[in-house]
Amino acid sequence: MHAADLAEPFPVVHLDDEALPATRMLAREGLPGLVVVDDDGGPLVVLPASQVLRFALPEYLEEDPRLARMYPEDEADAFCNVLAGKTVRELMPSKQYLPRHDRDRPVVGVGDTLIEIASRMSRQHSPVVAVVDDEQEIVGVITVHRLLGATLQQS
Amino acid sequence: MTADTWQVVAAVVVFAGAYVAIATEFVHRVQAALVGAALMLAIGASNGEVAFFSQEAGIDWNVIFLLLGMMIVVSVVKQTGLFEYVAVWAAKRACGRPYRVLVLLCLITAVASAALDNVTTVLLIAPVTLLVCDRIGVRPEGFLIAEAMASNIGGMATLIGDPPNIIIASRADLSFNDFLVNLAPLVVVLMGVFVLLTRWLFRASFTYDADRAAAVMDLDERRAIRDPKLLSRSLVVLALILVFFSLHTVLHVDPSVVALLGAGALVLVSGLSSEEFLEDVEWETLVFFAGLFIMVGALVNIGVIEYLGEQAVDAVGGRYLLAVTGLLFGSAVLSGIVDNIPYVATMSPLVADLVESGGGSTQANSLWWALAIGADLGGNATAIGASANVVVTGIAARNGYPISFWRFTRYGLVVTAVTITLSWPYLWLRYFVLV
Repeated sequence: MHAADLAEPFPVVHLDDEALPATRMLAREGLPGLVVVDDDGGPLVVLPASQVLRFALPEYLEEDPRLARMYPEDEADAFCNVLAGKTVRELMPSKQYLPRHDRDRPVVGVGDTLIEIASRMSRQHSPVVAVVDDEQEIVGVITVHRLLGATLQQS
Repeated sequence: MTADTWQVVAAVVVFAGAYVAIATEFVHRVQAALVGAALMLAIGASNGEVAFFSQEAGIDWNVIFLLLGMMIVVSVVKQTGLFEYVAVWAAKRACGRPYRVLVLLCLITAVASAALDNVTTVLLIAPVTLLVCDRIGVRPEGFLIAEAMASNIGGMATLIGDPPNIIIASRADLSFNDFLVNLAPLVVVLMGVFVLLTRWLFRASFTYDADRAAAVMDLDERRAIRDPKLLSRSLVVLALILVFFSLHTVLHVDPSVVALLGAGALVLVSGLSSEEFLEDVEWETLVFFAGLFIMVGALVNIGVIEYLGEQAVDAVGGRYLLAVTGLLFGSAVLSGIVDNIPYVATMSPLVADLVESGGGSTQANSLWWALAIGADLGGNATAIGASANVVVTGIAARNGYPISFWRFTRYGLVVTAVTITLSWPYLWLRYFVLV
């Protein structure tokens, strides 16, 4: 079985898309992460859902989780409001999420085998990888659930 | 030990090389200290017996274990949420008015730095400061810089407040009370001047919207304390540690032993896992200290420090006020440029020689206070002068408020110049005029 057999349609977001609608889509469709594409439409990075959550919180709450307990309940309930007016690009301020080399992109070729896909996902701690053809066009994505389902079926 | 000339030259070169590497951050400071220590052993300037067992020329285990014990104490106290509670409580008492908030946070930082250590204090106070500033709607850079400086000033008041004080106490055989009696009064004065100075230095941070600032009142500080039992137990043990420190002259229990007993007691009563109570142990710092002590000890062992001490004694020639003045201002300048820990570790044996040559008189002993004041306050001069400054600028940058080296230094030079200048008349009056 190859990547082309597992690829399925999956929404992608651009760097300059608004962060709040992108997060809403993530929640509404139960996606494991956001596939972010660059200006040429090539897959740039995958933001796992947990990472999106992290960006919705101020860094100091991560430094000291006890501070989160002091928030009033109504504000605590609406913590994602800080994403309003921000772009997906702003969710990645530290640049550490941007790939330095092409080999760091969350991408597999249409002919890659299941173990190659698993290796890429595992190395990049990414719950989703994009499948690209020879022209580097996205033909679909593979989620970790789909990959595990396929490999367990084979076993 | 009688050393060959080549050994003396080699030891001085190794020491200077390591010092330059530490000062310029050419390599990590732990790497520089460890390689330096290894080379000192390799050239025979020190050996296993001297490095590990000599009180004068080896690793000062009192310092290492005092630091370790207090780091464990801090790890446990940190879990209680006490800092967050007090900081938010203070911000609410100030009704979110920025200058009042800054003054209260600086005072809390100074007191906590004296009782614990200044790096941990700023590590705990900086995130809550970011939260409070976020609520008030003001930029936090000025608050964070002021807190780093308050921690360096406050830490000066006690033996355990600042690492240079721990080294000085061990080398000079000074007690917890000696530091309290000699330095705490000065710290009180300096903190008063400092909070007034911040009104002018950070005036740009005090413009705020009163309606928005009211949001700080919505925070519920009581929820920061999840385990009241842990809090009360920790406070009891911490109080006992401070009592035992201050009863040193009666009980004759070394500060390192008190810290370890306190750490053991807290580990026992807190019920925390080893991962939790070792969380704030900075192993790198402990290794750095060990390497540093071997390097400086090697210079003592082969007679370099003794030679320099004789030169210094000749140069001073009984003019202790001049020596105190030079040491105070010189230490302030050098501590701003290099980390004050290696500086004090190097200077301590020299100052010990000078004090001994003065027969341990009050004037001669005041050299220790000049060294402590110069090194502790000099740390405020630049962004790299003290560990607390480095920690605060790091937290600020991670939260999207980068503080450049020069921005910190602009404020730091003013604060250092004012506090050091005020310290000189204190030393002069107390140890030369009113004695």
